[in-house]
Amino acid sequence: MKSMTSKERIAAILSNKPVDRVPHFPFILGFCAKNLGHPISIIYSDAEASFNAQYNTFEQYGIDWGPIYGYASYGTWEFGGEIEMPTGNYQQAPAHKMFPVQTEEDIERLAMPDVKTAGCLPIAMAFSKLQQQHGTPISVVVGGNLTIAGNICAIEKLCRWILKKPAIVHRIMRLSTEHIVDIVAHWAATFGAENVIPQFWEPVASNRIISPRQFKEFVLPYFAETSQRILDMGVRNILYHICGDQNANLPLWAEVPMGDPGLCSFGEEIDIGKAIECLGSKAVIIGNIDPSLLLSGPPEEIFERCRRVIEKGKKSPRGFMFSSGCEVSPETPGYHVYLMQKAIMMYGEYNGN
Amino acid sequence: MHFKQDRMTVKERINALFQNIKPDRVPLGSLSIGFQLINCGYALGDAYENAEKSFWATKWTAEQYGWDPISQLSMTAVFGAEDFGGRVRAPKSVYEGALVVESYPVQDEKDVDRLTMPDPKTAGRIPIAMRFAQLQAEHDLPVFFASRSPFTLAADISGVAPFCRWLLKKPELCERLIDLALEHITNVLRYWVETFGSERVFAWMIAPTESNQVISPRHFAKYAIPSLVEYQKRIQAMGIKRFGFHICGEQNLNLPILSEVLPWKHPSVLSFGHEVDLDVAAKYFPQDIIYGNIEPAVIQTGSPEDVYRLCKLAIEKGKKAPGGFVLGPSCGFPITPPPINVYAMTKAVHDFGWYE
Amino acid sequence: MVSKERTQEIFKGLSQAVISYNEETSVELSKQALEEGIDPYDAVMNGLAAGMQRVGELYAESYYFVPELLLCSDALYAGLNILQPHIKTKEKEFSTKEQIVIGVVEGDIHDIGKNLVKVMFEAAGWSVHDLGKSVKLERFAEEQLKTNSEIVAISALMTTSMLAIPKVIEMVKAQNPNVGLLVGGAPITRDIAMAYGADGYAGDASSAVQEAYRILQCLRNKKNR
Repeated sequence: MKSMTSKERIAAILSNKPVDRVPHFPFILGFCAKNLGHPISIIYSDAEASFNAQYNTFEQYGIDWGPIYGYASYGTWEFGGEIEMPTGNYQQAPAHKMFPVQTEEDIERLAMPDVKTAGCLPIAMAFSKLQQQHGTPISVVVGGNLTIAGNICAIEKLCRWILKKPAIVHRIMRLSTEHIVDIVAHWAATFGAENVIPQFWEPVASNRIISPRQFKEFVLPYFAETSQRILDMGVRNILYHICGDQNANLPLWAEVPMGDPGLCSFGEEIDIGKAIECLGSKAVIIGNIDPSLLLSGPPEEIFERCRRVIEKGKKSPRGFMFSSGCEVSPETPGYHVYLMQKAIMMYGEYNGN
Repeated sequence: MHFKQDRMTVKERINALFQNIKPDRVPLGSLSIGFQLINCGYALGDAYENAEKSFWATKWTAEQYGWDPISQLSMTAVFGAEDFGGRVRAPKSVYEGALVVESYPVQDEKDVDRLTMPDPKTAGRIPIAMRFAQLQAEHDLPVFFASRSPFTLAADISGVAPFCRWLLKKPELCERLIDLALEHITNVLRYWVETFGSERVFAWMIAPTESNQVISPRHFAKYAIPSLVEYQKRIQAMGIKRFGFHICGEQNLNLPILSEVLPWKHPSVLSFGHEVDLDVAAKYFPQDIIYGNIEPAVIQTGSPEDVYRLCKLAIEKGKKAPGGFVLGPSCGFPITPPPINVYAMTKAVHDFGWYE
Repeated sequence: MVSKERTQEIFKGLSQAVISYNEETSVELSKQALEEGIDPYDAVMNGLAAGMQRVGELYAESYYFVPELLLCSDALYAGLNILQPHIKTKEKEFSTKEQIVIGVVEGDIHDIGKNLVKVMFEAAGWSVHDLGKSVKLERFAEEQLKTNSEIVAISALMTTSMLAIPKVIEMVKAQNPNVGLLVGGAPITRDIAMAYGADGYAGDASSAVQEAYRILQCLRNKKNR
């Protein structure tokens, strides 16, 4: 098959067409800032510098999908709390400083954020305009419904309320659901719904935190509703990052509508074969090299793991994109990131297509 | 990284250079010792203390960035201060980029007479450099022997400041140190030749103290040139075919002197500081392979666009050099540049480096 | 009372002793100056320092190089050691005039350039607080505070150690934004120095003093505005 450009490759996979090789999908943010000699904070505070750092780094490492703007602690700032930008050598992403909900009473006082002005959304919008200008996928990245809920009131509190005060949890989940729909509507109005590919990162639903039974009761209905409302706007593809160990949730995830094709990225805790089995018929599978292996090596093991993941992923019926299972640590040696590129070049081609 | 358009293997490309045949593209050199260790997640000190890590980091990083092995060094095999009995340590703090001399073997004039010749197989870091060279041989790479020039090595035995004072007041001490340095370098080079055979050894020499930022062309002619000529005689007598010379820093005033003496066999690789214009270099040395000369400070602090632009200019000039050209930094590669700037050099070769 | 002609002769002799890096003559003429009642301050400024000024010019003209500069500075110090103890406090403008903190940053042991810059400042009558080589970054700001120096001069010779320079500048400026920061060293260019937040840059020892005066002027203008 003739070799494709990155843009052709992504366009093909999003329209259920064959690709020349496995595309390389990014989950690499602070690393890009360091790769250009910038502080990590620019990734989150400066749309242009962030886009530029990712764009250049993606060219260097052969990453096909375009730059993205987002972080896991999304929601705290937008609902009126405070976050702090990463500083120093060891922080990787924005962190919570003060949650908007401290007590039950605070919930009643919560107002729906204005999606044009709240928190990081103006930066995210400026970033999406750069995505549009450069012809890369226009994504808005926010936490999944439960993750936003956890960022509104702190995960520990949310967990206690799941058992003791489920009505409060449903109230917060309602807020996060409406907020997500508002955001996507704003993006759809700006760029055209068919051009927007929203990404929802959902670490809090991991089975290290909640059970599959709780997932079914408190999470699944909201995911399903959010997705359906977004698809009804005319959005074609939704990406869910199923973060962490969600093995027990996988059959339930299969019930969430994600578009045609959906896009599903997985933490390293989930075997790609199993991901394909559960979601491969409806979504492009994305994953899932362990970022801690990428950080520490050794190189031989990284390369071998990449080979295994790519060879498994290539069998996915709706396509596969190769990526790390969660964000690549900014401290990861450049050579280790290069090994992902090398593995795609060596093992990612689809022969006979 | 192998460029899709590559029509030669790394080995074929280097061989072509020395046979005066245009290679498929401009080769990309690095003069890098430390960056690759950081790039592979190792400590900088491993560049000087662990031949295995240093070798693999070099090999892997060369693959990643498309660096050709010209030169490919762990470090210089001989050290003036350490081999003659001074104290040297590997870099520790984040700002230290090279070996740190803690004490020089020569503290005063009397010490010069007390100096004894180092053992060419065991002194200082020679065993580590030898292990690195063995790994190069095992992997079918050119086996580099890197040294400082006799003049620079001599100044390293006493420290540059006393050496400079003696040049004016007691030149006989400098001459004595230069003689010792030349003997030591030759002895270690002979060990390399005995181990690997002269055909495989690529002798590489670095001469920073000769720069006109330090000494005058008069002193260069009087004290540096004779030992350089003698070293070349010995290199050629040993049957070594490949020689590279890093003419470090601002040496514009020395070039006419060098071009008259021309002691090396042609072609040799002549690597220049950014202070020397590549056109000027090619004019003085039309029979040799010109190497250079991207300023490390720009690689360290500039934008990728700056680096890319400088490389484009250098490639355009260098491609016209009659004896051939290698794109590379103008001095030791920075340890912690933004990696995108390293890639910018690779990209420039990819975009502009092809010969018709 | 020593004659004007004799005074001029001694001054010229001292200058020449520095230029021709003749330590013995420098010592001898300094002693003679004292014996004959020549003002030691004038002997330093019009004799030794004037000579060093010329040495700087010779370096800039590529006539002198580092070996010559080192021996010239040895000759300067030889005379200075004799004359300086006799300079009366009220005339000792050295200690009340401009002051500079100077050093090579942490991780870098290359101090020849720094020492040559130091001698140029001493020859120009500045009071120099030399921190030496491989100086811990916070020491620059500490010494500036202790001495209330107007200028802090920072040097690095390697692309690794030069990365410490913006950190030093940040520390000094955070403590006192009115201090002038002068930067130099082989890998550094004026553009890099400016990007690091420095107030001035000197490519070699001979231009450093002039650059420091320019910085002082700018800072004073800024203050007056």
